[in-house]
Order: sequence, then structure tokens, then C-alpha cells
Amino acid sequence: MSQLVLEHIGKVYPNGTRALKAVNISVEQGEFLVVIGLSGSGKSTLLRCVNQLHDISEGKMTFEQADVTHLKGRSLRQLRSRIGMIFQQFNLIPRKTVLTNVLSGALARTGIFKSLLGIYSKAERELAYRYLDIVGLREKAYVRADNLSGGQQQRVAIARALMQNPKILLADEPVASLDPATSHSVMKYLQKVNQEMGVTVICNLHFLSLVRTYATRVIALKGGELVYEGSPQDIDENWFTAIYGEDAVEVTID
Amino acid sequence: MTTISFAPKRHVEVLKAWMIDTLVWGYTFLVLFKIVWQRIILDLRFIDFSWSEPLACLALGAVVALAMFFTRCSIGKALYGLIDFQDGRSWVRESHAVLTLVVLALTFVAGIMVTQVSMREFFSESGLAGAQRIFTALLNPNFAIFEDALFAAIETVFMAFIATSLAIPAAFVLAFFAARNLMSGSPLSFAIYSVLRFFLNVTRSIEPLVWAIVFSVWVGIGPFSGMLALFLHSVASLTKLYSEQIESISDGPIEAMKATGAHPIQVIWYGVVPQIILPYLSYTIYRWDINVRMATVIGLVGGGGIGTMLMQYQGLARWNEVGTLVIVIAAIVWLMDYASAKIRARLK
Repeated sequence: MSQLVLEHIGKVYPNGTRALKAVNISVEQGEFLVVIGLSGSGKSTLLRCVNQLHDISEGKMTFEQADVTHLKGRSLRQLRSRIGMIFQQFNLIPRKTVLTNVLSGALARTGIFKSLLGIYSKAERELAYRYLDIVGLREKAYVRADNLSGGQQQRVAIARALMQNPKILLADEPVASLDPATSHSVMKYLQKVNQEMGVTVICNLHFLSLVRTYATRVIALKGGELVYEGSPQDIDENWFTAIYGEDAVEVTID
Repeated sequence: MTTISFAPKRHVEVLKAWMIDTLVWGYTFLVLFKIVWQRIILDLRFIDFSWSEPLACLALGAVVALAMFFTRCSIGKALYGLIDFQDGRSWVRESHAVLTLVVLALTFVAGIMVTQVSMREFFSESGLAGAQRIFTALLNPNFAIFEDALFAAIETVFMAFIATSLAIPAAFVLAFFAARNLMSGSPLSFAIYSVLRFFLNVTRSIEPLVWAIVFSVWVGIGPFSGMLALFLHSVASLTKLYSEQIESISDGPIEAMKATGAHPIQVIWYGVVPQIILPYLSYTIYRWDINVRMATVIGLVGGGGIGTMLMQYQGLARWNEVGTLVIVIAAIVWLMDYASAKIRARLK
């Protein structure tokens, strides 16, 4: 059975824009699924529909055999807590330490009153240190998050997502604001999370060279529709033109 | 989807431009007639006034504005961008720019006449003698009342402190309802936003001095009425500053906190508060600083503290005591200004 199933998922924004049109995707446990497409093709919307930062307008979504299409309140927060997410702009809490940022990944299972006072159990703290070890930033635990470099901030964001003990990790263009060398380092950490911890990764990417290196499967969106699904090695010149249009030129990153 | 297009906006702008021109010309004629002709050229001692004069000037202005509207000599047209500006052309050749300067010059002349600027008074013998008397007294302060002045000053500082600290929770809550980005979701919330903004603007545009007069009648003369006046004004201005801060926060951390499955209260505490807390502190300390200064002035109308003391000694023309009070006030204001600047510089 697939871990996450999207059936005829459609998304219409309040202003009338149709961002997704009847998208069908099945995601298997342990995949590294990469979503490609032009800006505005619906990639970000797709990820935000999975953890319902945007509500789903049409269709049905199943997560671990349970219908989760229209959740509200507590059950929605529970779904979100099992799906981690990292962002293009990292979205760390400014002026807070790296450790506080990582601990904020545990908010869903922390009582409201305790979290307002910033009281976390010893076990949670040790977990936070462990995940900081995994992304190689333990010695930065007490540094303010906004004083780190872009690549380091994204690694903190990965540790924060891991703190949720997620089944799926959503990555919305995680390296789009980073330089090429740092991009590979961040992608390698995502790969490590995927391969060593068995977390399913769904990742939006722009660079095909990164897609070929890290993806186990690729889907492509164009104008909100699924136009390609297959192995990263099969994306050739023709597919590239079909997805990105005649005028596009492939840019590599190494 | 079809869009209904209304009459071009240009017509409205032309009308507004003509109205501005009418006001400018009407004002010019009124100043020329009342100040330049009657006051300066005829040098009339008592100038009587009738409402027909400004109305006649306005009517004349409307006609002249209409006549000049088809030339480049129109301030209204220039303001609404209805004149094609030519690059490299000197402003001296732009008749509307020259007209603006003439109007400003006339206003300056009128201002001098209205404020009764007089060098003769300034350097008159009795005037200079008075100045010497008051400066001598001020520079020889009577330190016998120093302790009283100090206690009054402490009252003033505490008055400002209580007004600020009571204003913080009120402004904190109101700021969320006065933040455009949070309230533009539904027509109802936007209506609340608009009404709240209106009341805040009205409250802010009435000086604390006026509020102090209102409250001194309400609760009686003393520090309490002064505190209430400062409180009200602080709520209004802190709410505005706080809400502008909320309007400028980034959505990223909020989105990230939602994505972890956090409760809405946790989202606000972790996603919103860290982004606003330091600017809030900074504004609040600055506000306290302002309130100490205002508290001194408010004392003059019976708001208590050192201002009231100053008013009493000034009424008795005891300038040596006033000198002491001025020194104490200057010291407090300087101290608050220095401390608040230092603290705010640290809060970055």
C-alpha cells in the first residue's frame, strides 16, 4: 500500500486561480520524489496541500490508509506533526537560538503552557542535540539562528523537521537561495535523512543536475497538471522542452 | 469576466486641480488685499473684517484659476501631473513653480505681520531690563526648594511610568485589531479595523495637554488626571506603532510553525512574538521617555508633578525658584533621553 495517495487533487485559490488540476500521485514509503516545473506550475501549492497549509479544494488525499482530505483542529495538527517541512527561505524563528529553533519542532507534542514558558524535558533536549549532530551543527546550539549562513540555517531547519519524527519530509525548493557548493551539502543531508532514517522526501527542485543525482523518482507539473512521471535518468532533451518550453536552456550545477 | 469602466479619472483630477487653483488664487488675493494693501500700504490701525471679503476673493480666484487653467501657470495641474514636464528646462521658466514661490513669499510676509514681529519691542530698554532681571534670577536658583522639586520630579517620572505600563497591555491587544494584514480577511474584520483606526487617529490628534484639562475636571487636579491623559495618548500611539510592526512581520516563521502542527497559540508565541518583541520594547521605552517630557508640560494645566510646581512659582513671579525647577526638569529630561537611547541601542 502506498504511504500517501493523492486522487484528482485540485486547488482553486480565493481569487479564482486554478493552481492544481486533478493531480494523481502515489508516494511510496522511503522514496525520494522530486517535483519539477516552472515557477507558478503548482509545485509549492502541491506541497502545501499535502500538509494542508493550503486546504484542498477537490479530490481525496489518503495518508497511511486514512482519509485526511478535510481535517480540522486537533486532527489536522496531528497530521502536520507527522509531516516535516523545510522552505526556500528557511523560515527559522529570528533572534532565537539554534536549539530553541530545533525544539520548536516538538511543539505539537508539548503542552501549550509549557511551550509558552519554554520548558522542554531532558529527553526532548537530548533529542534536539542528536538531530543537531546529524546535521553537523551541535557546536552552534547556542548561536542565534539568524547569525548563521544560509546553508547552516537550512540544516537547522532540517533538524527542526526531524524533531517532529516525521514520516514524510516536504522540501519546498530547499536550495534555491543557496550557492552551488552549499546546495549539494544540503541535498546530501536530505539524502542521509531519506536513506538512513527511512523518511520519505518530497522535494521541489529547479536544477535537473540535482534531480538526476538525488531523486529516485520524478514528477513534473505544468500549469497545475501532471505532465511527466518516471525515473530521473529518462528526462531527455524532449522532455525538458515539453516541461519547460521551447525557450528554456538547461543550467547545470556542480 | 467583464469590467465596467467608469468615466475616466482624468475628469475628477482636472476638477480637483481647478479647486486647488481656486483656493491658491483666492488666498493670494485675500493676503494681497488684507495684509499688503490695508495693513502695509494704507497702514490702517484697526482693520475690520466682513465675510464678504474672503468670499469675493474666492470668487475672483475661481475666475482667475479658470482663465489660467489653460496655461502652464497652474499649481493644481502640476500637483496632479497634468502638465508635461520637459527635461532640462529650468524651473525659473515654469510659471507654476514661480507662482508657488510668490505665494510662499506672501505667506511669509503675512506671517510676520500676524505674529507681530517687532525689533523695536525686542531691543526696547524696558524689555532688555526685564530680560536681565529674569535671567539673573534664573541663573541664581534658590536651592531651598530643591527637595520639594525632587519629590515633584519623582512624581512626574512615576506618573509617566504608570501611564506607559498601563498602556502596554491595552495597546498590545488593540494592535492586533489595528493591523491591516490580519484584519483585511473579511468585511466585518475590516470594518472593525477601520473604526478602530479612526478612533485611534482622533485620540492621537488631540494633544495630551487637552486630555489633561478634560481629566482634571473629571477626576480633579493632580497626578491622576495627568496620568490618565498620558495613558490615553500612549495607548493610541503605541497601538499604531505596534500594529505597524505586526504589519511588517514575515509570514515564513508563522508558516513553519503551522507546519510543525503547533497550536494557534504556540504559532503566535513562536512565529509572531519573537519578530515583534524587541521593536515593541524599544517603542515602549521611547514612549516612556516622551511621557516624562509630556508629564512636565501636563503639570502646567494641573496634571501634578513638577509641572504644577513650576506653574505655581511662575504665577508668583518667583524666578529664583523657577530657576531651580528648570534645572531639575532639564536634568530629568536629559537623563531619560540618554538612558532610553542607550537601552534602545542595545535592543537590536
